[in-house]
Amino acid sequence: MTKIVAISGKGGTGKTILSAMLIRYLIDTRNNKSILAVDADPDANLSNELGVKVDKTIGDIKEYMERNKIDIPGDKMLHFEAKVMESLVEEKNFDFLVMGRSEGPGCYCYVNNLLREAISNLVDNYDYVVIDTGAGLEHFSRQVIKDIDTLLIITDQSKNSINTARSIKEISDELNLNIKNIYIVANKVSNKSVVDLIKKYASEISLELIGALPLDDNIVNIDLNGKTIFEIPKESPIYKEVIQIAKKIGLP
Amino acid sequence: MAEEFPFDISPMYEGERIRGKDFYVELGGPKKPGFELVRVAPMDEVEDGKFTLIGPDVPDIPEGSSIAFAQIYKVAGEKLEEALEGVLERRVHDFQNYIQGFMHLNQRYDIWLRLSKEDVKKGVTFKTIADATMMLFRNELPFIEKMEAIYITDEEKVNEQIHEAKEIYKKRDERTKGLHDEDVDTFYGCTLCQSFAPTSCCCVSPDRISLCGAITWADGRAAAKIDPEGPNFAIPKGECINPITGEYTGVSDMVKEKSGGAYDRMTLHSFFDAPHTSCGCFEVIGFYIPEVDGIGWVDRDFPGKAPNGLTFANMAGQAGGGKQIVGFLGVGIGYFGSEKFIQADGGLYRTVWLASTLRKRIEENIPEDLKDKIADESIPDIDSLKKFLLKVNHPVVTGVIRKVDNKQITEGWTLKKITGKIKNDVLKYIEESGGDIDLDDVADKLALSEKQFMQVVDKLVEEGYIEM
Repeated sequence: MTKIVAISGKGGTGKTILSAMLIRYLIDTRNNKSILAVDADPDANLSNELGVKVDKTIGDIKEYMERNKIDIPGDKMLHFEAKVMESLVEEKNFDFLVMGRSEGPGCYCYVNNLLREAISNLVDNYDYVVIDTGAGLEHFSRQVIKDIDTLLIITDQSKNSINTARSIKEISDELNLNIKNIYIVANKVSNKSVVDLIKKYASEISLELIGALPLDDNIVNIDLNGKTIFEIPKESPIYKEVIQIAKKIGLP
Repeated sequence: MAEEFPFDISPMYEGERIRGKDFYVELGGPKKPGFELVRVAPMDEVEDGKFTLIGPDVPDIPEGSSIAFAQIYKVAGEKLEEALEGVLERRVHDFQNYIQGFMHLNQRYDIWLRLSKEDVKKGVTFKTIADATMMLFRNELPFIEKMEAIYITDEEKVNEQIHEAKEIYKKRDERTKGLHDEDVDTFYGCTLCQSFAPTSCCCVSPDRISLCGAITWADGRAAAKIDPEGPNFAIPKGECINPITGEYTGVSDMVKEKSGGAYDRMTLHSFFDAPHTSCGCFEVIGFYIPEVDGIGWVDRDFPGKAPNGLTFANMAGQAGGGKQIVGFLGVGIGYFGSEKFIQADGGLYRTVWLASTLRKRIEENIPEDLKDKIADESIPDIDSLKKFLLKVNHPVVTGVIRKVDNKQITEGWTLKKITGKIKNDVLKYIEESGGDIDLDDVADKLALSEKQFMQVVDKLVEEGYIEM
């Protein structure tokens, strides 16, 4: 059974860093388990954090299908499924998929239906799927990705990010996404009083604060030097906290 | 099911992907050429169960390689015919995906297969795969009486034969394209757009592509076969009520059910008589222009206004949502290539205006004798459209004769009401011209057809203004 963890939150709060560190954690601890990382936020760059080069995104393939739909002979589903597989980046320790840009004009009903089927077939092949997703939960609202086990909503010390967390929670309720667990993760927190405050805000929207990531120079360091998440020392404070979060949400 | 094979064989392995680090050998795919082909042959030309390998076998291929690959199956049987080859070939994907540790993606000359290290460890060779595939074909499709397999792993030979294979696919596609509504007993429905267009009931027939342009009759058939309860489903044609408008009892029954009772009739090839519902994501919308008794078409890419003063988005908003609105019709671009394109209402001969963006894409479908008679956005309003149509003598001016049965379906331009202004204009023109009437001049200055001009003249005679 595939376990799907999605990470959402306001832009700039650290979604991508948390996603990357969870993937790193799964790789560090895995016992021959298969991992799929998904970048589902057009504004994010999980690929940089993971040090992966991406040629083609799902968005590119959707455009290609929409433009060439008349000329593709034979069974379009088979063709599309192979194109999705082609856009999959196969790394040594994990596979990586980028959803890419949003839709242009035109009708995507048919293509999105193909995509639902293709993604669901693909996702079933993995033990763990980690998805970095925008605050709009775009791909979940279209049911492209279903059956999320845990949604982590990340906030920092800004009131804005708390408001975004509230609206993400509302969207997921409205869309009936049936997410088993939704938690708040605080990021860039400097002291205990801030943690308490975020905990209070979280409880106002009936969510539990599951962890608080400290400000950590190691993160600044990889950002500035263009390094990947795999270069963060195991004993760095932020990674230690991620390990705690991973365990709480049932990762091995 | 398969005790003699070293791997498990079951539908539960469908969708199994062999990951990059887990395959022993990759066949075809993005890196190497490949194809698969099923051919029907006479009984005496097929040796049942025979396997031929041209090129190296698994043990001679280095681990982790990507190689060229072709798999060709010859089948024979009393009930088999060439027309079934495509359907049989499609099953290769299904059956090979039942094999544990083997991945099959795509089709035809795009196949992408992976054989896992695990399988190779168990001693699997190409013959094992071929035997399992043939066993599944024989079990599931008993009308195959004999079957043999030829696998090619020699890149040069694959490249040699791929051309021949492409010719066969091409011929097959032409045959499907040559199918018409009357040749089949099943159409296919699509309700994918009902999420935002609740009464939209798309009906896809051989002569009518879906409104979004994505689903052909063959696509509908493929999707309905895989998931008959899904958004693409079979529509038994039922009785044909009118072959010209394309009215079938089966289609209307489907519309009754799927529109939740909002509509109870739908034709496939008429613009005016119970037209097809319009979802909203159609590629093109047609609009009736009553002033000229003709139809204009505008596509999604055209940003400007049509002669009726509306943009594509305006009209899509007005007519979309799954409604059946006489006067507007959403279609897929491919429908312009259909010989039944709104045939009940004159087809392209009823078309008076096309956005240039659309015209570029359907130029080859426009009959020679119409090429100069259809306006585009350089004719931006109704008045200039009237003058243009008169000048080129468009069929709508004199009356459209529909090709399907040579029946005249419009009477041509006539004045419903002869107003004082028209009478004055005509009188003034006759006076100025000194009775020397030039019909081109009439068209240009008065925007009247000959018939309309004579209507006014007759009226003026009757009322005693002029004498003949």
